[in-house]
Formats: sequence, structure tokens, C-alpha cells
Amino acid sequence: MVLADSMLMGETTATGDHSVAGPGWGDLGALCLTFFALGVTVNVLVLDRVGSESLTIVAAVAINSATTELAYLAVRDAGGTQLAAVIAGWVVASRFGLLAVSLGARLDVGRWHRAAAGLQSFDPNVTWAIQQRRAADVVRVFWRATAAMHLGWLSGIAVGVFLGNVIGDAERFGLDAVFPAALLAIIGNLLRRRSGALAAAVGGGLCLLLIPVAPAGIPIIASLAGAIVALATTPPEETT
Amino acid sequence: MSWAVVAVLAAGVWAQRLLGMFVGGRVLSRQPALGRLATLIPAAVVMAVVVQLTIASGTSLEVDARVIGMAVAGVLVWRRSPFVVVVVAAAVATALVRLL
Repeated sequence: MVLADSMLMGETTATGDHSVAGPGWGDLGALCLTFFALGVTVNVLVLDRVGSESLTIVAAVAINSATTELAYLAVRDAGGTQLAAVIAGWVVASRFGLLAVSLGARLDVGRWHRAAAGLQSFDPNVTWAIQQRRAADVVRVFWRATAAMHLGWLSGIAVGVFLGNVIGDAERFGLDAVFPAALLAIIGNLLRRRSGALAAAVGGGLCLLLIPVAPAGIPIIASLAGAIVALATTPPEETT
Repeated sequence: MSWAVVAVLAAGVWAQRLLGMFVGGRVLSRQPALGRLATLIPAAVVMAVVVQLTIASGTSLEVDARVIGMAVAGVLVWRRSPFVVVVVAAAVATALVRLL
């Protein structure tokens, strides 16, 4: 994977490389709390619709995608068929496939390790990992972030399912702002590069335009165009 | 949602992740011209998720307290504040706006 490393180095400049230090323990703790909040809020909603604690827990762990569960339930709530709801759930999960592409390009590990990492591709762990320059650091940061996420997610599931009625409306505490704020912080370093800022602006802008007119999940897939525009219009030896 | 639906949803999500890892990831790592996509894809896709979580309600746009929370988060990210500060400040700002 030396090639992949050199490609990332291609984004470096004479002023220094753009590889950032991996997340510290404080960052990992905050990520854990973020996924705890996400686990609580999502699973309170899912349990309310599904009505079975065991099914809610198995769905959260097996599907491993809160957005897929929420998209499926949203389509069913709106009167959609099972098939339409399942397709919506798959489409919104497509971003994990895209993130796995990014991670896959930077991982220098065996087949089973790749499979395990692929199945755990989420926004925070992939985004932090691919900002590391050394292949060994990519792996280390990825699994540390994954562990922090799952610790929070699994404990959030438990609290959401068994204590959800005690907590009440989680939005009262602003918990629905925790996840997007965490994601923004995690891509912060990418946004300081011209290419990253352009990719995010085009991707985010397209998503904003498509939300009112496209089915669930399509705006996220369309945001991929932002990465392609940035690739085509910014030089590899850019400065921030 | 039934047990069968959970299995079908899970299979679709697992398949996409594995496909991305084994097919897309290998293609990117072998094509130097496309290599920068490894860092550009997360920038574009994660920002789209941020937009969706901030301003969407289903398939409609909705400006509410989340926007204030994310504006606060944006300023703090710009000022390179610690991760935990960004997350907590966004939640507190959103909750305060809802209290008003």
C-alpha cells in the first residue's frame, strides 16, 4: 500500500504534510459519548415503532446502521410497502459503501482484517483513519475509534431500550445536534484544504438542493459528485 | 419491522460495505489518478450527512434549533476547538434555543 501512502502524500506541500495526529483519549471519549447519545435517541424511536425490546436490540446490532433503520421506519410510517422501505434503508446505507472505498484504498492488511474493517466502516472512524499518513496509523486509529463508537453505541442501545421511558424526549437536551456536530469536527481538517472544502461545499450543496425533491438516501449518494468535482478541479500539490 | 426484514436490511448493508472495501477500495489503491478520492469522498459524503441531519425533516427542509447548534459547532471547528467542546457546545446551544 505504499502507492496509497504516496498518493496521500501527494496532497502535501512544501510547508509540511497534512497528515494529522490521531485522536487522543479525550477525543475518543467524546466520540463514545456521541454514539451513546445516538444509541439512546435512535433506539427509543425504534422501540416505539417496533414494540419488542429483543427485536430492537438485534436490529441495532445486526443492521449496524441507525440511518437504515430510521429510513425503513419512515417509509413504513408514510404508508410505503415493505419493498420500498427496504430499498430506502439500503440506499441510505450506501454512504458506508463509499466510506469503505476510501478506507479500502488505505488499508494494508489481510483479507479477513479487511472484511472486518469494511463491516465497521462509519463516518468518524474512516474519516479519522484516512487522515493518517502511515499505513500502521490508519489501522490503529481506525480500530481505536471503532472501539469508542461501539462502546457508546451498545451502551446507548441498552439505555434507550430499557430506560427510554425515563429519559423522555432526548431532543430536549439537544442530543440530536450531537452527531452532526461530531461529524463536522471530524472533517474539520479536511475542510482546511482547498480540495476538501470544495468537495464538502459541492457535496453538501447538492444534498441541500435534492432533499426536498429526491427520495431518501439519494441526496447523500449525489454528494459523491463533490469529491469528483474537487478531484477534477484542484491540483494535487495544492496549498491550504 | 420483523425478524426477516432485519435480516434483509442487514444483508444489504453488509454487502455494500464489503463491496466498497474489496472492489472500490482496490480500484482506488491501484489508480494513482483517483487516489485522492480516498480523502475527498469522506469530505463530500460526511458534509452531506451533516446537512441532512441539520436542516432536513424527512424529505423537507426545516430550519429549527439544530441550525443554531451547528452554527456554534461550525465556529468552534473553525477556531480548532477540542472535539469534546464542539460536541457539548452544539448540544447546549440547541437545547437552549428550544428552551426559549
